[in-house]
Amino acid sequence: MTESTSSIAQKPWADPNAEPFMQIKNVTKKFGSFTAVENVSLDIYKGEIFCLLGGSGCGKSTLLRMLSGFETPTSGQIIIDGQDQAGVAAYDRETNMMFQSYALFPHMSVEKNIAYGLKRAGLPKAEIATRVTDILSLVQMDSFAKRKPHQLSGGQRQRVALARALVKKPKLLMLDEPLGALDKKLREETQSELIKIQESLGVTFVVVTHDQEEAMTLSSRIGVMTEGEIVQVGTPHEIYEYPQNRFVADFVGSVNVFEGRIKEDGEDHVIVESRDTGSDIYVPHGISGVEGQKVAIAVRPEKIEIGKTELENVRNSISGTVDEISYMGNVTVYKVVLDSGKRVRVSRSNRIRSTEDALAWGDVVHLGWAGTAGVVVTS
Amino acid sequence: MSAVSKLPGGRFLGRFLEKIGFGGRSLVIAVPVFWLLLFFLIPFLVVAKISLSEAAIARPPYLPLWEWEDGFLNITLNFGNYLFLLDDPLYMSAYIESVKIAAISTFITLLIGYPMAYLIARSSPDNRNILLMLVILPFWTSFLLRVYAWIGFLKGNGIINNLLLKTGIIDEPLIMLQTDFAVYVGIVYTYLPFMILPLFANLVKLDGSYLEASADLGARPITTFFTVTLPLSISGIIAGCMLVFIPAVGEFVIPALLGGPDTLMIGGVLWNEFFSNRDWPIASAVAIVMLVVLVIPIMLLRKAQAAEAEAH
Repeated sequence: MTESTSSIAQKPWADPNAEPFMQIKNVTKKFGSFTAVENVSLDIYKGEIFCLLGGSGCGKSTLLRMLSGFETPTSGQIIIDGQDQAGVAAYDRETNMMFQSYALFPHMSVEKNIAYGLKRAGLPKAEIATRVTDILSLVQMDSFAKRKPHQLSGGQRQRVALARALVKKPKLLMLDEPLGALDKKLREETQSELIKIQESLGVTFVVVTHDQEEAMTLSSRIGVMTEGEIVQVGTPHEIYEYPQNRFVADFVGSVNVFEGRIKEDGEDHVIVESRDTGSDIYVPHGISGVEGQKVAIAVRPEKIEIGKTELENVRNSISGTVDEISYMGNVTVYKVVLDSGKRVRVSRSNRIRSTEDALAWGDVVHLGWAGTAGVVVTS
Repeated sequence: MSAVSKLPGGRFLGRFLEKIGFGGRSLVIAVPVFWLLLFFLIPFLVVAKISLSEAAIARPPYLPLWEWEDGFLNITLNFGNYLFLLDDPLYMSAYIESVKIAAISTFITLLIGYPMAYLIARSSPDNRNILLMLVILPFWTSFLLRVYAWIGFLKGNGIINNLLLKTGIIDEPLIMLQTDFAVYVGIVYTYLPFMILPLFANLVKLDGSYLEASADLGARPITTFFTVTLPLSISGIIAGCMLVFIPAVGEFVIPALLGGPDTLMIGGVLWNEFFSNRDWPIASAVAIVMLVVLVIPIMLLRKAQAAEAEAH
């Protein structure tokens, strides 16, 4: 019993009785004849870190701007904490935003930037001072209170921007590409700090990003967007392991897609005949269809085994020639050309340093993957 | 490497010029320096020289500053012109009146120009070009013609009075021409583009995300204006005010055409000294003092700006 409630507390979206904290209902935004956001519906629950993931121009930022009140939906409804946001101006919303450019006021010190929102709320001076001090120590910027934004590094500005957005204790915090301007190392550190801060304050985060890695590490759930529509919503695990369509499979991580037609529709499996592989592909789940129907099977590069000799314990097996080898340190990526001309990407983690078994260009290799490794995706 | 050496056959010349301390860099700088020397410093020195000489009925109408006589060089510096300016209250009150009129006009120009510049900066790029064009358009007509046109508007049976009489708002014509009011109208109208353009250049660079951030943090548009937009556009305001205030102090044509007999501005005084009284030394002294009156605050302001820029 306790276990089930705690798992529901962690995954409120899985509980049909849970009340969503924010509801986006059939929201559409048009700019002239261009539709930036098309009929998006989304429920976000309290305490979540929800990522809107998509390439540039997919409408994710427009959606965020509608949540914060900078844009008005052409149609549809946005409800935050039970309140319809239609007609509520940006300055009256109990949401805050961390801007991509940080938008720190250049003429104000760090302290004044953070106090800005509290002053507008008309809080007493003493309270403003304590809250500013508290938030500055939370983001570890205590010693920079008197500095101006231009005297800070990118990472420090990011912290100040976060502090400024959090200090009003918003119901919902929106972050537009929060880590975009930071270098890789700093980004990884900040990511985990961001999660810690979110957990300690319990604020609901909505993050917009084009970086799938950032989305995977930060979020409780991801909504993948393309061309103004949300194509899949799910946990990072669901998005990666069970992409519903080709776009998601391709956008999140890399993937090999084999085209084919259903040859046999069994009770617990289907067999797909593919010209790409030159052999039949066995898929144990996720599809039922008529024979002859066109489908695509997606297989992640790390789920494909590679070896010089015939592989054992694999359900699907093909062979080809090594065409390209990229050594990345932790993994090596092989590009293998099949007889059909199809190129397959295979990655193998370099668990041992030995080069005994090393594959070379031009080697004939056997590829194979378990039946459960493949996912059927619609195009 | 000097720029000259890049030219075919210029290598030798370039080396030679460099050797005598005349590289490409100094050549580039030399052009504006020469320009300022020829058209600013030398005329200024000439005026300064005349201001220290004595008036005479001669041609030119002042005595030379130095004379060579029997192996003696006689230098006569006449500070009397400056002392005379202090003596006669006319000059002092003309200076004060000029600065007052210029300051009030600048302020009114700012009040009118700021919203216009803001609107232009915030409009779509297509509209922006049209609106900017409209601001610059009056320059295509002679300044004198435009000031004359205002006479037609402001005079007793002019357009404004006729309109007001016809609509029954007033019973008898308002006296507007030949008053300080007309001078203000003329100065504000003439110098408005000089206020709008630097303000526009500043406001158009203002990052919209600052305004959004301010709204996001709970500031209403009016609060955002006073706490974010205005402080960030202060350098544009200073530039615009300078461009209006400085020429307005020395303005001669507008008060002469639109002002009345009571309108006392230093430009008019200068004109009278030069052309009516033919007292070049006094006129030169008036001009030099005006320059000092204007230059000192400008230099102080520049210093303050430089200090602020350093702090940034």
